[in-house]
Order: sequence, then structure tokens, then C-alpha cells
Amino acid sequence: MVSLHRTIRNMRRVGLREWWRQMQYIGDAKSGVLVGKDQFGNRYYENMNGHEEVPGRQRWVDFAQHDYHASQVPPEWHSWISHIRKDPPTNDPVIQNMTPPWQTPWVENLTGTRGAFKTYNTAAPKINAWEPKTISRGA
Amino acid sequence: MSFIFKRTVANAGRRAAFRPQAGLPAFRSLHTSQPSTAQSPSPLPSSSTDPSNPITTIANYGSNQQSLENPQNKVEYVLSTLDKVANWARQGSMWPMTFGLACCAVEMMHMAAARYDQDRLGVVFRASPRQSDIMIVAGTLTNKMAPALRKVYDQMPEPRWVISMGSCANGGGYYHYSYSVVRGCDRIVPVDIYVPGCPPTAEALLYGMLQLQRKMRRSRKGVLWYRK
Repeated sequence: MVSLHRTIRNMRRVGLREWWRQMQYIGDAKSGVLVGKDQFGNRYYENMNGHEEVPGRQRWVDFAQHDYHASQVPPEWHSWISHIRKDPPTNDPVIQNMTPPWQTPWVENLTGTRGAFKTYNTAAPKINAWEPKTISRGA
Repeated sequence: MSFIFKRTVANAGRRAAFRPQAGLPAFRSLHTSQPSTAQSPSPLPSSSTDPSNPITTIANYGSNQQSLENPQNKVEYVLSTLDKVANWARQGSMWPMTFGLACCAVEMMHMAAARYDQDRLGVVFRASPRQSDIMIVAGTLTNKMAPALRKVYDQMPEPRWVISMGSCANGGGYYHYSYSVVRGCDRIVPVDIYVPGCPPTAEALLYGMLQLQRKMRRSRKGVLWYRK
């Protein structure tokens, strides 16, 4: 858990610069083993020491983008970071052998951009937005 | 003789390629087939691994939003910075008005409970519509409930957002063909975020809240006012 001792210890381990970045993006001073890096440049860390990290916080990601969100983690790393798979995809034989070559590249959630999902529809809208009309009161 | 002629022609073509294109040489160079430098714009990529140019940026090329987010003069620079400060303040204290109508409300309660813990994001349920920013429509909206929903929405102060939670609120869902159910709460109120699921997990709803934070961060109301 968060304590002054732990913060100072992790700050000394990762260095001031990395600690500052962690405080801006993660909000906690964490230190662990760099397990790997995905194609987007997100870095994945692990610290399995039970005295240093509470269960559930043992694996974490340092996002490459400033505007980060959870869908920037590709599915292979998602399964690792969510403890679905034990090994990271860099040395997981199942993921390496079972990934089909025709698999499309991972795209993060495009909600709010022009690439957002829109249902295929050719019909003219039957329903229009409600426009409130008030009847003027008779004198 | 013909060999010399061929050499001359080839050298002339080579020389023409390095000559500044003006006057007679330009006219001559019309005969050589040069690769056209002005290519037609290539189609946008469908994925990107560059963190400085992510796919969300590529997807917004040429949009009004991209134009708003890039200030064109000093006034816009100041205004967009003020907008960002306002966005930061808004996204840090989203107070949802709970409109729990059915089983989705249970998942909404789970979002407030210890595991997903919405309080760490500054999301606090507020029972009064006059003090809340967001309305989470959780569950089946019936015809009988619709006027009440609209009245509650009208009582909320601006700026206000609506999250439609679950299939029933999104589009009627299981009760789409019922005689007494509104086929989607977007017929009654304008919806910002649709959370799919029947019911959506608390995690999905929390992700919807994060997407709403993203939407709040995109707001550039000051720049919009200045440009108009």
C-alpha cells in the first residue's frame, strides 16, 4: 500500500524523471520489471513481490499516449495484464503460434472521432428529434 | 551514325531532367515521361502505431473538431487554454443524477461500490437534478416514466450530459415491441454516451464515464464562441 517509505524506495529505484512521469499518469510511485513493450510503445511492468505490491496491482501499463485509455492496450497484452494468461505475449507460445497471419491490426476505441462505429443504414430516418412547440396563450 | 544519335538523345533526356524547368527546356521536357510529383492524396491509414500521431488523430483529419483544437491566433490560444481548464474542472467532478429504472440500476450501484469505486474519479451520485451534471438512464424507459424523465432532465443545469445505460435505454432492447415502452431514451433526451449490454457490467459503465470524460475534454466552447 501507499506509504512514505514505499514512495521513497520506489522513487530511488526508478529515478526522479520516471517517478515524476508516474505521478502524472499513474498517480503512484511504482517499481517493477519491464516485461515488454507493445507495437504502440506502451510499456508493461510487473512486480510479483507480495510485500511491495498488493494483489491486483502487480501488473501495470505505462501508456505511450498523453490521452490514454484502456482500449489502447492490444488484446494480447490485455490478456496478460488482466491475468488471463500467465506469460506475456512475447514469450507465450500459444499466442505466438495461434495468432493468424490475416489478423487485422488492433485499433483503439474511435468513439468521438470520424472513425466511430455507425450502424449500416440506408433508410430515411422515421424519427426526428423532438422540437418543443409552445402554444401562445390566448389573451 | 545511328548509335551516336541514340547517345545524344539519351544524354539530352538526362540533361533535361536536371535543368531548371523553364522556357524551351520545359517544352522539351514534355516529351520525357517524368514521374508526376503531385500525387493524389493517399487514403488514410486504418491503423497507426505512432504514439505522436495516433489513429484517433488520423481519424479526425479535416474535421471541425481538429480545427477547433488547433488555435490559429493568440486569442484562440488563450481561449482554448481556458477551455481546457474548464474541461479539467468539469471532468474531475462529474455528479450523476441517478435515474435507476430497472436491473441496470444494480450495476450502476456496483460502480459506486468498493470494487469499481467511482469516487476516485470524482463521480458522486447526487439525488437532486438541480445539483447534478450527468443523468445516467439505467433501465427500461416506459411511456409512463418518459414525462418524468424529461422533467428531471429539464431541471438539470447546463452543461449537462446523458449516459444511456443498457439495451433498454439505448433502443428499447428486450421490450422494443412492447406497447408501453419508449424505444430508446434518445427519443426523450439527447444522449451523449450509449453503454451497450444487458445489463452492462459496472466496468462497462465506468468505461462509459471515462469516455464521457474524453468527450468533456474535447469541448472548445470558448473558441467556438470566438469564431462565431
